[in-house]
Amino acid sequence: MQTKKTIAIIGATGNMGSALARSLSKGNYRLLLKGSQQDMLDALVQEIKANNDSADVEAATCPAEASWEADIIILAVPFAAEKEIAGRIKEVANQKIVISIANPFNESYDGLVTKPGTSAAGELQQLLPNSKIVKAFNTTFAADFLTPVIAGKQVDAFIAGNDDEAVATVSELVNAVGFNPVVAGDLSVSSTLESMQLLLIRLNIKYQYNWLAGWKILHH
Amino acid sequence: MYKLFFESFNRKVPLTAEEEKQIKQYLTPKKLRKKQYLLQEGDVCRSVAFVEKGALRAYSVDDKGGEHIIQFGLEGWTIADLFSFLTGEPATYNIDAIEDSELVLISKSAQEELLQRFPKYETFTRLNITGAYLAMQRRLTSIISFTLEERYTNFISLYPDIAQRVPQHMIASYMGLTPETLSRVRQKMIRR
Repeated sequence: MQTKKTIAIIGATGNMGSALARSLSKGNYRLLLKGSQQDMLDALVQEIKANNDSADVEAATCPAEASWEADIIILAVPFAAEKEIAGRIKEVANQKIVISIANPFNESYDGLVTKPGTSAAGELQQLLPNSKIVKAFNTTFAADFLTPVIAGKQVDAFIAGNDDEAVATVSELVNAVGFNPVVAGDLSVSSTLESMQLLLIRLNIKYQYNWLAGWKILHH
Repeated sequence: MYKLFFESFNRKVPLTAEEEKQIKQYLTPKKLRKKQYLLQEGDVCRSVAFVEKGALRAYSVDDKGGEHIIQFGLEGWTIADLFSFLTGEPATYNIDAIEDSELVLISKSAQEELLQRFPKYETFTRLNITGAYLAMQRRLTSIISFTLEERYTNFISLYPDIAQRVPQHMIASYMGLTPETLSRVRQKMIRR
């Protein structure tokens, strides 16, 4: 028997947030979803419940309340919104795992807005110094959650973080949604992971992968 | 969020504002709704829980599915599967909320760092464990040497707040009785 963990997804109505919510609702998790548009959020909760009787999911009233109840917090908001949300959840996110999925792309998707050597995850760690920031789910497209096996290969999903126990917990999440977890290193690797997604987006546009593409490390 | 925790701490070992601030960095605030689990048997107990608000219980389940309550945790108390927390072995207890609750969790790694960094935290922990040990001795004495009536009287005089808040069948389970037996004991005492 495994104790059910509660996961708060902040930004659950976005592309990535809703894909994560749909995927995680099939696992042994209780989900608290918060999105900026209430009607979309209610529809998402209804849809998940309609597809899966045993899904334990509900709409949350505010990010802080959801995060207070949660064991794990997923920030599925755009990079630009992270600072504001971090301020609101800082106290209740103390010592908790906070997953940074954001990629700090510029508006034309041809560069990063973070300085070289820094990352969205690193900045979030500074905003939430007592939380265990883990970079994950940033190198996968939303459509990959429905199809985590592409062309016969299970998509790799990279994870970076400083706390070993937190990284192990997030690896379980990655596994639960169907990707192959690859622990890339400590949080400083995040800048590389964020750049990898920038490249994948550029390639997706150039070669028309139709937003269904991912990374796979080939090895013996 | 940590009000009762630091009140309890300061009663045992007074802290400076700076020490409070430092210790706070290690604490995990967590809300649990009624009937939700903090821990299920078989999992490793990764943190101890101080109850800021609400009520929890720790219990084991026998082969026939019967629940045996080991401990209640009300405001100001600490609850955990200590064996599992200390050894890293799978828990033999379940812990769930019997009311909507607000907890302060202290994870194993936080606990170890706190013990190393703050001698006052070590004193606080020692006093807590001593208190829990005494309560356990009292409970054992009561079970092996008191009559049923004495056990019940002893329980409600020691823990009037639990007797008020917790359903009778859980109190029966805590005392190792069937609800019917507890009910008979209470009737007999009322008639007197």
